[in-house]
Amino acid sequence: MIPHRRRTLQTLAAAALGTPALWAQAAVGGLPSAAHNDSSPEWELLRDKLFGGRPVAADGSVVQLIAPLRAAYGASVPVKIVSRLAQTPQRWVRRLTVLVDKNPSPVAAVLALGPALGQADFELRLRVDEYSHVRVVSELNDGTLQTDSRYIKTSGGCSAPPNRGALQLIGRTQFKLQAAPRFGEINSAEVTVIHPNDTGFELNQVTVMYIPPHFVRTLRVSYGGAPVFDADLDFSVSENPTVRFNFVPPGPGELRAEVEDSHDARFSGALRLG
Amino acid sequence: MRRAGLRCLASLGTLAVGLLLALLVLLALAPGSARAALPERYSAIVLQPAGGPDRAEFDLNPALDRARREKKRLYVYLGASDCPYCRRYEAFLARSADELLPQFNAHKFLLVDLRSRLLMSADKLFLRIGERSLPYADFQRSIGDERARLLVYPSVWLLDAQGKPLMQMPAGTGTFETVPEQLEILRLEQ
Repeated sequence: MIPHRRRTLQTLAAAALGTPALWAQAAVGGLPSAAHNDSSPEWELLRDKLFGGRPVAADGSVVQLIAPLRAAYGASVPVKIVSRLAQTPQRWVRRLTVLVDKNPSPVAAVLALGPALGQADFELRLRVDEYSHVRVVSELNDGTLQTDSRYIKTSGGCSAPPNRGALQLIGRTQFKLQAAPRFGEINSAEVTVIHPNDTGFELNQVTVMYIPPHFVRTLRVSYGGAPVFDADLDFSVSENPTVRFNFVPPGPGELRAEVEDSHDARFSGALRLG
Repeated sequence: MRRAGLRCLASLGTLAVGLLLALLVLLALAPGSARAALPERYSAIVLQPAGGPDRAEFDLNPALDRARREKKRLYVYLGASDCPYCRRYEAFLARSADELLPQFNAHKFLLVDLRSRLLMSADKLFLRIGERSLPYADFQRSIGDERARLLVYPSVWLLDAQGKPLMQMPAGTGTFETVPEQLEILRLEQ
């Protein structure tokens, strides 16, 4: 992520935090309640800052977001993005932006895509800090914007006690194919970076001090040297960031991931196919 | 002399207040405390753990047998006698019983009240279905529940009469402590 863009996102995050929750309705018991496709003050602000005055349609014709109403843990909410059109040289999804409206840093991921994906479907796990909408905005190569959203009921995702059992493995980056590779067809794969993805809001239970933020900033995946997707990530992605994605390998080659974290540490992982 | 007597009375008063507070704390923390349970109106099947503090087992088989006989489902609640969040959820159920009880019945849920303590950590808490008695994390994995990583008090499972989860539940009960949200859970809204 270029520094200017990073600063912009940080400014947006701070602005979002200070915005009163005008859209939230008080349910019985005082908890906020909303429908899946409702707007929110945070979304209004983010939409304006990220996409200017461009129209953002929400008719479900391009992208669908699948996420549970309640997840097992707020620190690990499974989210699936389903694109309703194939990636073709004529028409493809060029960017997916994943937002968690009420998180301290609401822009969880920005994925830059190319036609080589075959199908722009992704799965990842997010931290959701309080009752919030999770949104995806899909931008097509012609600049068209489409969105879908789900309202998630959970809390504490950014301050959950960290699972720090494998700190010596930080940076280990691994691929897993869902099935034996098929050249010239859409394959599904998963890349995992072992990393605590500390938010800065987690309390060390022993020292009673906050653990400084330390998270994966970028994840760039290529096949045979050609980009598959580039992801700018944030601590709103769960620990051990894992992304499930598609790609079309034209023939034998190497699936490769380049990773950089917020301490400027670099890691990589690769998987040879064929 | 009179002043000394007053001081003595004041000391006795302080002592009495201290004892009273200590008694209240003990009552609140005592295992099996009358308040450490689902409200009586829900007629929950109460299960006390078998075994010692290093291996406390809850046998779900009798509850599952009854669910099969009555063609019902189980709403299994794991609470701890010394857990304030458990008291909060139980208090919510108590004050909402008029609205919720008919809904628990309508959705064919039998409530099961597993009475634990915070000391019973994931490695010491065992759950039995059929012949298999497994520690918490293994039990969760065996039924495909994602909450294997961390035991949170209180916890709720929604099980069919065979012991299979009806849906993935969240850790804790904080997201269904209002009547509309409890109803979402009973309707299995995901």
